[in-house]
Amino acid sequence: MKSEVMKSVYKTIYRAALIMLLLAGSSLSAQNPTATGTINATLNNRNGIALVFDTDPAGATLGATGTSAVTLNFGTISAFGPLSAGITRPAVTAASFTVRTVFDVKVTQGGLKSTSYRLLANLAAVAPTGFSYKVDAVTLNTNQQTIQNNATYGNDIAHNLDLVVSTAAPGAGGPAVGTPLTATINFTATAN
Amino acid sequence: MPAVAQTGSAQLSITMKVQSSIGLVFNNNPSVGSQGFCPLGNAGSNAASLDLGSASYNGGDSLTCVLFSQQGNFYVVDSAFDVLVTKSNTSSISYQLAAQISSVPPANVQWRMNQRLLSNTFVVLQSANNYSRPVTETLEVRVRNDVPAQNLQETITFLATAN
Repeated sequence: MKSEVMKSVYKTIYRAALIMLLLAGSSLSAQNPTATGTINATLNNRNGIALVFDTDPAGATLGATGTSAVTLNFGTISAFGPLSAGITRPAVTAASFTVRTVFDVKVTQGGLKSTSYRLLANLAAVAPTGFSYKVDAVTLNTNQQTIQNNATYGNDIAHNLDLVVSTAAPGAGGPAVGTPLTATINFTATAN
Repeated sequence: MPAVAQTGSAQLSITMKVQSSIGLVFNNNPSVGSQGFCPLGNAGSNAASLDLGSASYNGGDSLTCVLFSQQGNFYVVDSAFDVLVTKSNTSSISYQLAAQISSVPPANVQWRMNQRLLSNTFVVLQSANNYSRPVTETLEVRVRNDVPAQNLQETITFLATAN
């Protein structure tokens, strides 16, 4: 009698174990297959600094504004006559007159810890007779001179460009009259 | 008594279990070489490499196959490639594709796949792709302009799971 009871207990345990195995098996077979792959991607992040000129709302319109190589046309200038849009005449003396426009410089940097930059400028060639050029009151020559020491990145910063013109007659120290004159100013931004 | 040939017989029982499986490989996109589609190293395998060149916020990227842009204070480089998943011995009709990067990137550097920000846990890219049809995935790296110069590297793991 006791043996029959034990047999029944073993059968129940066996059935339970079998059911568990079957469940486990169905669970395994229900797992969805997977596949993996890898891509090893690399990018070398470099640092750099860039300078562009923008037209200032109060100044003359720059040609190719927003780039690092712009043109600026003062038009016809004189001590007393009309001036082009965006050009002003802040000073007229017996010896000279000054015409001015405003332009913006924007310097951006990437990959540097620098938070400010120094702006320098120089004339590409000696100024024509009877002219001198100033940026923010700094008279330019062919050597680099500091215009601004701790300028902030990413902002348009306005600068005055002054042409100081001698009132002397041509041949007597004054500029050529009625002849187009050009000059190139180089700007350099150096990260502090 | 005639001799009777001795015979013997035997049976070899073979058992096997076929398992469902799927495979994944990376392929060059048909537009490879044009802007936005750089060539993969070891294309056609499941262990490829992708060189995005050298880039800077102001200077662009050294590789013409990289799509470069400035977005606010970040610069962005993009390149796309194809993922091909095939199936065998399964009735599954689609698969889910997910991706993760191997390590946390430096501050202000983002690795994205199809615009989705990647991290070191799997991010689902598509939930029901068709087998045997290439899927174009676009890898994008966004770098803010104050990130110090350095090499940026990630191993991106793709996981395809049968639905």
